[in-house]
Amino acid sequence: MSIILVKNLRKYYGENRGLEEASFEVEPGEIFGFIGPNGAGKTTLIRLLLGLIQPTSGLAFIMGKEVKHSFHTLNKDIGYLPGETFFFPEMKGIDVLRFYQKMHKVDEKYFLELVQKLQLDVGKKVSEYSFGNRKKLGIIVAMLHQPKILILDEPTSGLDPLMQQIFLNLLVEEKKRGVTIFLSSHVLSEVEKVCDRIALVRNGTVSRVYTMADIHSDNLKKVILVPPATDFEKIGLRLSKLENDEGHYDFDGDVNILIEFLAIQKYKNVMIRDASLEEIFIDYYKEEDQL
Amino acid sequence: MKIFNSQLFKLEFKRSFKGLMVWSLSLGLTMYLVVILYPFVIDMYAAIPPEFYDIMNSFGGIPDTIMEYFATEGAMMLQIFGAIYAVMEGFQAINRDEREKTVEGLYVLPYKRDVFFFTKFVRITVNVLIFSLINSLLSLIGFWSVSESVEGSLYLLFCVLNTAMYLVIAYLGFALACLLKPNQKTMISMLIPFPLYIISVVSLLTNNSVLQKMKYLTPFTFANSVEILKTDYVFEWENFVFFMILSAIFLVLSLIKFRKREFMV
Repeated sequence: MSIILVKNLRKYYGENRGLEEASFEVEPGEIFGFIGPNGAGKTTLIRLLLGLIQPTSGLAFIMGKEVKHSFHTLNKDIGYLPGETFFFPEMKGIDVLRFYQKMHKVDEKYFLELVQKLQLDVGKKVSEYSFGNRKKLGIIVAMLHQPKILILDEPTSGLDPLMQQIFLNLLVEEKKRGVTIFLSSHVLSEVEKVCDRIALVRNGTVSRVYTMADIHSDNLKKVILVPPATDFEKIGLRLSKLENDEGHYDFDGDVNILIEFLAIQKYKNVMIRDASLEEIFIDYYKEEDQL
Repeated sequence: MKIFNSQLFKLEFKRSFKGLMVWSLSLGLTMYLVVILYPFVIDMYAAIPPEFYDIMNSFGGIPDTIMEYFATEGAMMLQIFGAIYAVMEGFQAINRDEREKTVEGLYVLPYKRDVFFFTKFVRITVNVLIFSLINSLLSLIGFWSVSESVEGSLYLLFCVLNTAMYLVIAYLGFALACLLKPNQKTMISMLIPFPLYIISVVSLLTNNSVLQKMKYLTPFTFANSVEILKTDYVFEWENFVFFMILSAIFLVLSLIKFRKREFMV
């Protein structure tokens, strides 16, 4: 049974679209990425899953219970990290953590462990924290009760690269513990590193769900030729840009045909590589624009 | 069913404590100063020209005792500033979390919305009671400082009714925050005490019988300091009951609205 099930979920704020239509399922123990540009509806979907806002139509279930009616009990098993983390500014980090620890009725052992891992100075007041430190505090608050599901909105924004790595490792550890992780992001490199599946969202609509294996088996190749090729269309090369004396092309046909074509031409330099997730993502949005 | 959370109460109380102390002590000390000035202002009253007596009579007349002086000079100021504090306390109980964007961290805690609502309601009540107690005590210390005899039962009655008026105003502020859309400016809450206070003043000053009846539309009537401390007091029970029922209705409506409130930053 899916741990998160979203069916035709839609949210409008009066005339304004929050989320047009989302339908997908998240399996227990997986890391599911929810990917899209700013304003696509990622945060709206997360708020719907947490019961912070009510859907205009459609249904969302977590662990078999409808969110609309059971969010207060479901939240016991959910850890949530908002995109922008705000806590009580006049309080010290440690007091914020103690408050959440007592509200969740758990002991402080685990959060102290997390404080060490994330190297957060909890003796400072929240108002003295940088954006990154507030994020760390948010991560600890989301995890301190060892929830079954983690819902993370843009989790690594504001963290330095080293801390991003520590955090991503932490996610992998949580996954090993059996935790299901639902994260929204537009940083594709982090998604690529940890996610099992991703849903692409655009203009408030979730249109495709990929496994990472699907993405890695995607045939799209990036080809750079110096000087640029002529008659390239006949084998299916698509010119993406001309830069100085380089021709940049996309190719998703038979690679042997490409090699045969290149072998009869003279080039100073040839480079063929798999497209990155970011490039596939951009390609996807370009295709959508053309439809 | 548990509808109160002591941890949340402690957090809310701790966060509001500084404001509570600033308001209570500043207003309480002002009242203390007003009261201890009494021996010095007796002569000033004697020097007031008779043509001003009519105006003075509208606000309780020339005071003959320290209690009457307090009713006309101190208590009216105490009531308007106290009402401002009470309405802000009520309004900010909901509004502050939205303004400071802490809602997303708070309302994802595994508690029903009712728990947040009732805990905040209790916290507002406690704050207003402490606020009123500090003001009442500091005024009382003022009476003792100038060694004037005080009619204890009347003063106690005034303090109790005044506190009830603060609570009504605070609950209306709380309800207003729940009924309005999120992220409103706190100044909006001033729409409650100022019109109600002006209605009470107008109804006192006018000779028009229709306008005089407007006194029933404001909770300042049942806690009118001049009525309670100076003249032969008749308890305005219709006014009191009306505002108790009104507060209860608004609290029920706000609970219904709060359960469905959408929290966004």
